Amino acid sequence: MSNLKKKLMNGDFVFTVEITPPKGPDITSMRNKLEELKELVDAANFTDNPSANMRLCSMAACKISLDLDFEPVLQMACRDRNRIGIQSDLLGAYAIGIRNLLLMTGDHPVLGDHKEAKPVYDIDSSVLVKLVNNLNNGLDINGNRLNGRTDFFYGAVVNPNAEPLMPQLKRFEQKLKMGAEFFQTQMIFEIEKLERFMDYSKKFNTKVIAGVVIIRTKKMLHYIAEKIPGVVVPKWLINEVEKLKDHDVERFGLDLAASLIINMKEKKLCDGVHIMAFSRVQEVRNIINLIKNRV
Amino acid sequence: MIITKKKNIKDIESFIEEFKSFFLIGCSECATLCGTGDEDAILNFKEWLESQNKKVTGWIIAKTGCQILGTKRQLGEYKEAIKEAQCIIVLSCGAGTQTITEFFKEKPVIPLNDTLFIGNMRRFREFEEKCRACGECFIAVTGVCVVTLCPKSMLNGPCGGYKDGKCEVNPLRKCAWTIAYEILEKRGFVERFYEEILGPKDWSKANSPRELRNKER
Repeated sequence: MSNLKKKLMNGDFVFTVEITPPKGPDITSMRNKLEELKELVDAANFTDNPSANMRLCSMAACKISLDLDFEPVLQMACRDRNRIGIQSDLLGAYAIGIRNLLLMTGDHPVLGDHKEAKPVYDIDSSVLVKLVNNLNNGLDINGNRLNGRTDFFYGAVVNPNAEPLMPQLKRFEQKLKMGAEFFQTQMIFEIEKLERFMDYSKKFNTKVIAGVVIIRTKKMLHYIAEKIPGVVVPKWLINEVEKLKDHDVERFGLDLAASLIINMKEKKLCDGVHIMAFSRVQEVRNIINLIKNRV
Repeated sequence: MIITKKKNIKDIESFIEEFKSFFLIGCSECATLCGTGDEDAILNFKEWLESQNKKVTGWIIAKTGCQILGTKRQLGEYKEAIKEAQCIIVLSCGAGTQTITEFFKEKPVIPLNDTLFIGNMRRFREFEEKCRACGECFIAVTGVCVVTLCPKSMLNGPCGGYKDGKCEVNPLRKCAWTIAYEILEKRGFVERFYEEILGPKDWSKANSPRELRNKER
């Protein structure tokens, strides 16, 4: 059983951190960051060509992390592989020791740096959840018997900021029904949005890891608001950040993320947080310190 | 209908550069509705060819360009003009163009148009794609074709990328699943829909090239 699963089942509040693998073959910088981060959080969650920008694959990054004794979460999107490729990659991932999966549909190629690419989307993320459930039962998606079972701990994503919300909640339920064992949310800026979702989801008794981003600059906030699908940055937040002097934004972003996390933890709103710090180790360290000092 | 758009003139120039005489073939069906294969389109292109010191030996508007035998019969009357031309230019869709290719193996057959999609016309010459001929229709279940209208062909509900009900790929468009969900709600089918899961879709039904031989009357 993965350490992440053990902790979540045990009722521990978990911390995961998002790592975007490098654009290129040089893994020196990523490896150095992992060495430091492994002391700070429970698992590293490696993105699968995020925003459809081509990067080093999540699976190799997971293996590098495993070799450093840092538990990885493999992100698998439906955008670039058909059901044959996905299953084959997942069996390979299991064989090399990867145990945690985060399953998603994936941002469309037109948003990334290979806009002319043919989008695959052979299956959607609900079917992908079902597919992993099958693998864990020793079957492929067509019901053919495998020479063994995988033992993946597999989660799906949900966006509590979505408007309209109901289609998103129904889809959450559907992924749960297909076997999803935990959920990771899109980045949360307002605790009320998470509360609204948790009110609905608590009756299903699943594990929820809330996404929290650390804002560093005004430019970054605008990028998140405008370019990242499904992320709605509240107007008040944009206005507040705009009023700040540039060198004060980093402090503000850190305090905002820390207060959100402390709030979530104290109110027992969720089972952990997923920190999106765009691979900045120091910020992860700062936020963990802030939380430890206040809780 | 099949929606077509005239190619960029620069691309056309590179295809026809080496030829001096042309026979033009339009189509009275979809390409006429699109304005890419009607009499106006043919005469405009004829005029342009002539302005480039090229000769047009004749032209015809096929009744239904994708009907192979009917078109062959129609072309029978233009044998001489076609023989005289070094090259045939087709103002139709890709299907209509290949009807002509079947008849002329040695003479170059060049499409004037790009074929875009199966479309519905909302206003005059304004077209929208609603069906992508995937071979397995789910509209009875989902109300609108999510295979076509959702850029990710999501069968089981929306992805997490929509904002204020707008699609992540094109924020000017409504998310296909917010439309489908509204329909499910209005029909009282939401709970029933989410009892099961659609898919994985059988994409083998969309494997090209497809054929159908249906002789029953």
